[in-house]
Order: sequence, then C-alpha cells, then structure tokens
Amino acid sequence: MQNEQEFSKAEKFWMNFKLYQFWRFIVLNIKIYTIAVQSKWH
Amino acid sequence: MAKVLVIGAGFAGHTAALYLGDKLGRKHEITVISNRDVFGYVPSWVWVGVGHMKPEQTIFKLKPVYDRMNVKFVHASAKEIHPDADDQYVLGEEVGTGKEIRLNYDYLVVAPGPLLNFSGTPGLGPENGFTHSICSLPHAIKTRDAYLALCDRMKKGEKVKIVIGTGHPGATCQGAAFEYIINVHKDLLKKGLRDKADILWLSNEPALGDFGVNGVQIKRNGIVQKSDDFIKAVFNDHGIRYQVQTGVTKVEQGSIHWQNYEGEEGTTDFDFSMLIPQFKGQPFKYIGRDGSDVSSKIVNPMGFVLVDGKYGLPYPELSQTPEAWPAQYQNPNYQNIFAAGIAFAPPGPISKPFTNKNNLAIAPAPPRTGMVSGVIGRVVAMNIADLITTGKMTHSERMTEMVAACIASMGDSLWDGNAVTIVMRPVVPDRKKYTNEYGRDLFISHLEMGVSGAWMKFMLHYTFIWKFKALLGWKLIPE
Ligand SMILES: Cc1cc2nc3c(=O)[nH]c(=O)nc-3n(C[C@H](O)[C@H](O)[C@H](O)COP(=O)(O)OP(=O)(O)OC[C@H]3O[C@@H](n4cnc5c(N)ncnc54)[C@H](O)[C@@H]3O)c2cc1C
Repeated sequence: MQNEQEFSKAEKFWMNFKLYQFWRFIVLNIKIYTIAVQSKWH
Repeated sequence: MAKVLVIGAGFAGHTAALYLGDKLGRKHEITVISNRDVFGYVPSWVWVGVGHMKPEQTIFKLKPVYDRMNVKFVHASAKEIHPDADDQYVLGEEVGTGKEIRLNYDYLVVAPGPLLNFSGTPGLGPENGFTHSICSLPHAIKTRDAYLALCDRMKKGEKVKIVIGTGHPGATCQGAAFEYIINVHKDLLKKGLRDKADILWLSNEPALGDFGVNGVQIKRNGIVQKSDDFIKAVFNDHGIRYQVQTGVTKVEQGSIHWQNYEGEEGTTDFDFSMLIPQFKGQPFKYIGRDGSDVSSKIVNPMGFVLVDGKYGLPYPELSQTPEAWPAQYQNPNYQNIFAAGIAFAPPGPISKPFTNKNNLAIAPAPPRTGMVSGVIGRVVAMNIADLITTGKMTHSERMTEMVAACIASMGDSLWDGNAVTIVMRPVVPDRKKYTNEYGRDLFISHLEMGVSGAWMKFMLHYTFIWKFKALLGWKLIPE
C-alpha cells in the first residue's frame, strides 16, 4: 500500500493483470492446500 | 454394534457424518437427524443475496449421499437430549408430520449450528424486524428480493442509504457481512447505480479488519502489515464509509440505534440494511433420567455445549493460554457427547472485549468458520471411530493450532471480479508458540487482493460441493 490507507496505482495494476493473477492463483492454491492438508494429520 | 447420532448436517455435522460413514458405516449404525433435507453451501449465500447465484445452486439433497455412505438420514428437528447412562436418546419432531421420533445413541455429536437470536436486538431481522440477513437460505432470498427492489428505486433516481454489518454488540461472522457489503458495492457499480447509494459498514469490531479474530497480521518485505490498514484501503478505494466499536441496541423502521466505546448513543438512518444477529446455541432441552434439567452439565448460559476447554479465564489470561482452547470437543460430564462447529462453547473471545461506561459489552464473539467447523467435525468423527474400535482417542486440534483460509469475494465475475484472500495460522493466537506480539505465524498468514481470489472463490464453491457430495477423492480435499 502506498500509504497506510490506500492502494497505489501499481498495486491496482497487478491486482487486475491476468497473467500475474494466474501465477498468484497457482501459488495461493499450493500454499493453502499444503497448509490446510496438514490438519488431516492431527 | 454402536449407535452414533449426529444432530445437524451443516459444515460440522455433515463432515462428521461422512467420516463416520466412511470409517464405521458398514459395521455400526450412523444416523443424522437434520431439520433440513438438503446440505447448504453457506458461503455462496452472499451471492444469492445480491441475485448473482440461484439458491438451488447452493444446495443438494442429503439422503442420496448418505445412502452411498452407509448413513441413515432422519428428516426431523431435534428437541430433547436425554444423556443419562443406559437410556441415552434424542427426541425429535419429524418435519412435515410433526410425529415424535426417538433415536437412541451410544455416541452423540451435537452440531446444529447457531440459533439466530434476532430477538436479542429489538427490531432486528427479516421476520419481526426491519433489517435483513444472509444467515439462512430463506433469509438470503428475502434479502435478494429487497435488494433488487431497492435497485429499482435507485434506477428511478432515488438516493438510498445502505447499512451492512453486525446487529448486536456481541455478534460474530463479520467476514460474511464484509463480503456482502463489497458484493453490494460491486453489483451497484456494474448496474451503474453506485452514485445513488451511500454505503456504511457498521460493526462491533474493535478495529476495521478485526473479524472477531484480533485481526490478521502478515509480514511482507520485512514489514508487518495489518488487516486494519488493508481493509481501510479497500473501503477507501470503494467509497464505503465505516463505523466500528459500535454495538447495535435497537432497530426501528428506517433507523438503527447504537452505542459506541465512548458510551455515546446515536442513530443511523437506512433504506436497506443487512445486519448479522447474535448467535446462540440451539435451545434443546437436556433432561436427566429422573426428569430433571441437566442442561448446566452440558451447555453454558448461551446454549453452547461445554467441552474440554478451560472456561472462566479472564481475557488477559486466556489470550496467553492456548491450551485453554478445547482439543477434542468432548463434554466432560457426559463423555459420549461431542460438539462440533458453532455448537461448541469457546472459552472466551479472541478479540479484545470492551465494556463501555454504560456497562454495554461491545465484544465480537469468536467466529467458528466453515473450515474450523469442518476440521472439528472430522476430529470428532475420527475420535468416535477410535473409541469404538480401540477405546482410545488419538485426534485433537485446538483453534490455537488450526489454520483458516477465507476468500472474501468482491463480485463473482471471473473477468473483473476480485477477492481478498486471507490466510491465518493459527485462528486463535498462540503467544507461547509464536512469540511476536500477535501470536501468529507471520510467514504463513497472508492477505492479498486480486482477480485470482475471485477464481479461487468460484473454484471453492464447486470443489466443496464435490467434497460434501462425497464424490471421488473427497477425502483428499481439506476441510
Ligand atoms: C453468509 C455467510 C457466508 C459465510 N462465508 C464463509 C466463508 O466464506 N468461509 C468460511 O469458512 N465460513 C463462512 N461462513 C461461516 C460458515 O458458514 C459457518 O461457520 C458454518 O456454516 C458453521 O457450520 P455448523 O455446521 O456449525 O452450522 P451450520 O452450517 O449452520 O449447520 C447446522 C445444521 O444443523 C441443522 N439444525 C439446526 N437445528 C436443528 C435441530 N434442532 N435439529 C436438527 N438439525 C438442526 C441446520 O438446519 C443446519 O443444516 C459464512 C457464514 C455465512 C452466514
């Protein structure tokens, strides 16, 4: 965030840039799956 | 042959039933009693409430799933629990006929979700009040209709006031209300009506982005970022006004009465409002063998089931005692009774509670989200399977160990939708394990906004319905 209470222009660009967001989609899926699945071992 | 009875078929009860059916269904009797014959995928009711998803896309019939999983299904509302040894049973009322049904059990899982306590705030709610709710499917449908009627008024040029948030000083589930306010904003934008609406977030949280879990904190590029700033940026970006530290005390036609931390009293006008009510436990009767009321051995005064947590610790002590949070969700007085999901009694709040000078406690109750409810449902089911097969429980998971991932959608379009992806570990801060001031794993915890979140939310809808239908590979999908 450019200051504490606003998103910068660059941040907004990346939020909507589809190719980057596809990368984030893969990364977030892997991250969430790997930490969530650990619960099954409890 | 052991008899296991599950009350409720939501995130917690249905998850428990699937694991119980899978583990024990062939040799033992697993029964689910639910007052609805469908499973409801609650998170998507946010989309129902703005008219973006058909209600029938969020539900499916339970019985065909249970038939495949060796689980008996009883379409009835549970009323009484008789927990004393040698004659343990639940009395229910069959939906449609009103016929009394008696179900004996050796193990009982209480998972009926919350009682939506609209009467806790005079004038609140869609039935006897002036506000709306998305906490049940009929409510979400009614909310949609009222919202679309409001849009028609705006199309004719009328300017309106929309208030969304919490409708009781002790309400929880701020995440759902947050998602709804953002979806309303996005929908109005698409309809070209955003300039006709003044939208206000009104909540009992100590700070924006608290969500009843003391906020979310992450470390990015070496700097700690907090959900407070993040959600402020979202609201500023969307032109949504906000007022936190506020407990709603009464609602009248078109006006909400509240008190804040300073003890000031005020009113806020509205044309359309969706406020989450206080949650209580379902009002079952707990009856001993001699006909006496044994509820104090099973539930707290709010009706939530007492389990293996340490109750009564003052907040400063509780916030430093991760082991006060229950691990196995087993009632200490009746050890064959377990509670899962919203039904279990948490040992106290996660967010810092506050009482103002008028003695009004403004304190969000701890959320037991879908993921938390599902995890508890599985832990309880596996432990009951353990008890039946080996006599010893081997599973446990406290909320101070659990991870939660929440995707708060901001519109459902796969092209220009958006969502905030929130990951936190653990849900309840563990200040012994994570020695930073937040008690969280700042590396795993995550806050991010982007179109990818909208894709995830969409994917989760179908993935979870797949899982809850117990289709191929369902156990590989985390809760
Ligand atoms: C609009 C909305 C959006 C949400 N979004 C998210 C999200 O994105 N992610 C997330 O993790 N969580 C989300 N949540 C929270 C999540 O839905 C709840 O945490 C979860 O539903 C709780 O599960 P449960 O099984 O305890 O209760 P429920 O899901 O409410 O299930 C209880 C079941 O018991 C049945 N029942 C009730 N009384 C009786 C009775 N007397 N006899 C028999 N059966 C009975 C009910 O009909 C119901 O089927 C959201 C909540 C709402 C309201």
